Amino acid sequence: MINNENVMWVEKYRPKYLNQIVDLRHVVESLEAFLRNPNTMPHLLFAGIPGTGKTTAALCIAHELFGDQWKNFTLELNASDERGINTVRDRIKDFSRYGRAGFGKAPFSLIILDESDQMTGPAQTALRRIMETSSRTSRFILICNYSSKIIEPIQSRCATFRFSKLDNKAMVKHIQDIAQKEKLSISEDVAEKIVEYSDGDLRYAINALQTAAAYSGGKIDVKTVSKVVGEASPKQVQIMLVNALNGNFIEARKMMYDLIGQYGFSGSEIVRQMQRELMKLSLLSDYQKAELTNIIGEYDYRLTQGANDDVQLSALLAQFSRFSRSDRGKIVD
Amino acid sequence: MTDDRLWVEKYRPKYVSEIIGNEEAKTTFVNWLEKGKKRKKKAVLLYGPAGVGKTALMNAASNQFGFTIIEMNASDARTEKAINKVGKPATSYAALDQFSAETKGNILFLDEVDGVFGQQDRGGIGAIVKIVKESLVPVVMAANDTDLKKLRPLKKVCLLIRFQPIRIPLIITMLRRICLKENIEAEFEALERIACNSQGDVRSAINDLQSAAAGKKVLRVHDTLFLKSRNKDVGIYEVLKGVFSAESVREAAALINQSRVDYDEFLLSVSDNLPFRYSDPIELAIAYDIVSRADVFRGRVGTENWRLLKYFFNLLAESVTVSPKSFKPFEIIFPPIRIMTLFWTKPKRAKLESICAKIALKCHISRATAKNDMLPFIKTIMEKEKSTPILTWLKLESDEVEYLTNMKKL
Repeated sequence: MINNENVMWVEKYRPKYLNQIVDLRHVVESLEAFLRNPNTMPHLLFAGIPGTGKTTAALCIAHELFGDQWKNFTLELNASDERGINTVRDRIKDFSRYGRAGFGKAPFSLIILDESDQMTGPAQTALRRIMETSSRTSRFILICNYSSKIIEPIQSRCATFRFSKLDNKAMVKHIQDIAQKEKLSISEDVAEKIVEYSDGDLRYAINALQTAAAYSGGKIDVKTVSKVVGEASPKQVQIMLVNALNGNFIEARKMMYDLIGQYGFSGSEIVRQMQRELMKLSLLSDYQKAELTNIIGEYDYRLTQGANDDVQLSALLAQFSRFSRSDRGKIVD
Repeated sequence: MTDDRLWVEKYRPKYVSEIIGNEEAKTTFVNWLEKGKKRKKKAVLLYGPAGVGKTALMNAASNQFGFTIIEMNASDARTEKAINKVGKPATSYAALDQFSAETKGNILFLDEVDGVFGQQDRGGIGAIVKIVKESLVPVVMAANDTDLKKLRPLKKVCLLIRFQPIRIPLIITMLRRICLKENIEAEFEALERIACNSQGDVRSAINDLQSAAAGKKVLRVHDTLFLKSRNKDVGIYEVLKGVFSAESVREAAALINQSRVDYDEFLLSVSDNLPFRYSDPIELAIAYDIVSRADVFRGRVGTENWRLLKYFFNLLAESVTVSPKSFKPFEIIFPPIRIMTLFWTKPKRAKLESICAKIALKCHISRATAKNDMLPFIKTIMEKEKSTPILTWLKLESDEVEYLTNMKKL
């Protein structure tokens, strides 16, 4: 039945075992060594940019330890979704209460805490206590983008693994492998193009491949890739930015309220995306981008100090509207 | 005969059990009343925010247990002299009534005693303590102040009973009961809005219900849109009008200082109206820069550093008077855009959240990552393949699929 089979390729082709992981030889070897004698496995900390296989590696470990039963012995939590340390604590408590203290060759159950660098300092301190009290029966795998955002006491309790940006060649090969399994024809330069867009993020690359496949009749070319990548890149923030830069403040602000109201974005998320889109804008010189970046940075800071996201965002957009009126802000077409 | 009393009067609780919420406070109070002469303390202070049932409890209890209330509103008579004038005779001769059989006796009830607390120069709190000590009958007092520091001196002589704001679901249930009795068919969202807006104040909730629903057969959300945070925004519209047409920072600052508007709502409204006030982008940017700094001070004020509030006020005043000469009358926008936007888009956000939660679960990612990284691709695929198997794989409900189909691409 279609329901049981993974339809999104990122899931369908997610490795189940460590030796299927793309690239990352050194990480995989150390992890395999732990798995040969699971008793020796410490808490783990995986750090690295998105789409480099941190979650995949954690799920692989779960698979290797518990086989098909892995879901019963693994608690997957995402720090950015749980509302606070109390929910995290409760979920972990509930999980360990069932006495799932291990199965097969593992004398413990596994707790995977994704995006753990989203937790505040105090929450991490509480997490450290939780790790201590439940360490007899569980092992933690903490996943984060930046290990520096994890407090020292936690870092010192974990074996840290850095997931560096994936090797382009390995990614190209992986994309071609998937294409072959899906009976698609894709030349090397098209695969390279996809990898180039992905900027080392394998999840992005696979999503782009699947979307391109939907738009082509079996043979994917560079044009289709560019088209779907363009289609799938968020445009609202970019349009808001351009509106503001053109002095169309009211329209820009309306879009800001759309982003907050309809899409539920927070102020800091919007500012982050503005910075990303700003760097992509071709109608500005590097010097102008630097000046605008400075402005964004200032308002991002005020956002953390202030009380109302939309006031700060409105103010930021107003600065952008003024910028185009100044001499430095002359936009070259 | 039609009963055109205020609903707060009409539905005033007659028995203690009819008062909603604050179960613990109610029990403590009734226990104290029933103990009679064996009471450890002769006086009780009921304290908590307005409209949560302090006076209602007093009235219902005396009705139920047969006490006679001698009431005195302390805020009318603030000085020691005045208090003594009313309070003393009441507390002494009232004792005579204890011989009569119909009544269990008298209770002296001092409402709004916190009007007296801060006025030590007039001997306010000392006078209250004195009355309690000299009174021959039990004394019940009520105060809106929740600042325990101020209430502490009273602790020696009276039992302090704290009242909390009433929880929203309880208020909704009560509003529903009233609607039933008034033969009004009310939309749940309308009652919810009234209840939320009351912030736990039952009296204001009933008043709002009456002004929204009186004379109607059906109450819709639409009818409740006029509601804003109660009491706090008396004349916020007028204040906005005044500050935007002010001719100097001083004038604007004085206006803001005098008004008792809700700070956040006022800040949002200033921010909302700036683009209509300043047509010149440079002036607009300057004004917004100042408002942004005002907001930073709002953040610093938080709930305790109230002395920083003056900077917040002055910055706001400066933001509306960047160029007094360029002022032209314009249509003031109110209530704040954000509040309206968030209110109307709530169902949409909830749907998007639940879709993202499903993606997150399937793909081992956070809801934020699902929204930012996965959804754009899924949406793009949907544009080519309207009913892609991905949708069934995600176990999306039909309304969620419909929402995704019609959603504007991010």
